[in-house]
Amino acid sequence: METRQLDVRGAKCPVPIVRARKEIDAMRAGDVLEVLATDPGSVSDFQGWAKTSKLAVLKEQRTEKDQTGREIYVHVLERRA
Amino acid sequence: MADTESSPPGVEVGELLARADAGEPILLLDVRNDDEYETWRLEGRRPIETVHIPYFDFIEDAAACVDRLPRNREIVVLCAKGGSSAMVVDTLRESGVASRNLAGGMIAYGEYLQPVKVPSGDPGLATWEMWQVNRRGKGCLSYVIRSGREAIVVDASRDVSWYEEFVRGLRAAIVWVLDTHVHADHVSGGPALAARSGSPYFVSAGEGFELWQHVTPLVNGQELRLGGEGGVTLEVRVMRTPGHTPGSSCYLVGRRHLLSGDTLFVKSVGRPDLGGQVDAWGRALFHTLRDGFATLSDDTVVLPAHYAGLDDVGPDGVVSASLGTLRRTVPELQIREEEKFVAAMRAALKPPPAQYDEIIRVNLGGATVDPEKATEWELGKNQCAAGTRHPAL
Repeated sequence: METRQLDVRGAKCPVPIVRARKEIDAMRAGDVLEVLATDPGSVSDFQGWAKTSKLAVLKEQRTEKDQTGREIYVHVLERRA
Repeated sequence: MADTESSPPGVEVGELLARADAGEPILLLDVRNDDEYETWRLEGRRPIETVHIPYFDFIEDAAACVDRLPRNREIVVLCAKGGSSAMVVDTLRESGVASRNLAGGMIAYGEYLQPVKVPSGDPGLATWEMWQVNRRGKGCLSYVIRSGREAIVVDASRDVSWYEEFVRGLRAAIVWVLDTHVHADHVSGGPALAARSGSPYFVSAGEGFELWQHVTPLVNGQELRLGGEGGVTLEVRVMRTPGHTPGSSCYLVGRRHLLSGDTLFVKSVGRPDLGGQVDAWGRALFHTLRDGFATLSDDTVVLPAHYAGLDDVGPDGVVSASLGTLRRTVPELQIREEEKFVAAMRAALKPPPAQYDEIIRVNLGGATVDPEKATEWELGKNQCAAGTRHPAL
């Protein structure tokens, strides 16, 4: 099992999901991808995408703050079998 | 990513709305997520046929999504900001389906301003002109009044350069900038517009409420003269009308046109609960509507600062109603007793959107906000009307 991180801070939609999907595509079942995003719309987008995605399961979403106080939305995805 | 070189040019919000309003059979493809789509949609003056397929569904299975779209129709794709919809336009093109992207998406829709001329209704008053500036995505209304070479702007939205350009187009200069009250649903463009045009600015927070910015005070009954020397004189009379907020004002333009702010709308009254004092503010609103407006005749044209939906827009595109009609039709104005009025306001209590407190603080002059954050705060329609008639808001 591998855990990768994808940093899409500053990117606007559709970039976070396009890149997350590409990454997940290249991973193996059970591998975990942590996506770091700053777009608040990414929270609902990842939920919606995970509902239809054949590749990814959304395991967790949390909000953190970076050193400047900017909100970072972390989406934790697992590659499906 | 979007291949910008071969993508068809995007559609501007103004063009889309004008064509949809005129009845052109445009199909909207809304590619936002379910939450965003449920909360806030693009509306024309008449219903626009809309298909909702989130952009990430196109990423997963483009062919299945394309199959759901009717052909032989002009398709305009929209999302929150215009990025995901551009991607979908490219996906559709690869499938042989022509479409165009709504430039700037719902953000641009939320900021778009459409000026609609208010008929003066009185040939004797044709020497002045008034425009109702409709911020259609939010249901916010601001006003530009011109007499001679002078103009007053009331309840300006944040895009101050739009007002500057519009007034310049009228070959006039801004001489006063007014707000009817400290807005809660959008960041006022008033202070910046006044500073940039070197004009006095007025808003009131109400007695006992602190305003952290400079205003030129106006008192109840005071008249502003517009038109300058040798020009036409137009009286703009200030009426202090507490209720929606303690500092709310209305402006009577000429003899008949009342800029009613959020005190009175065309189907309801302004909600008095945004300050957490629904009883005190509700009482004030009752007295404003009954006593403060008592001297206004039934033929007064009421021009509010907000509207709730398409039903509120007249055939000429103006949101307005005669005070006589409102006295007969607005449910809250049928309540003759103060206690019952306050009880109705209390019963209609609803939590305001979370960002309203922050917007109020900025509009009081107590904080600043960067444009990106302000845009985020201002997403969605206003929620400034008392909820007795619009429970869904």
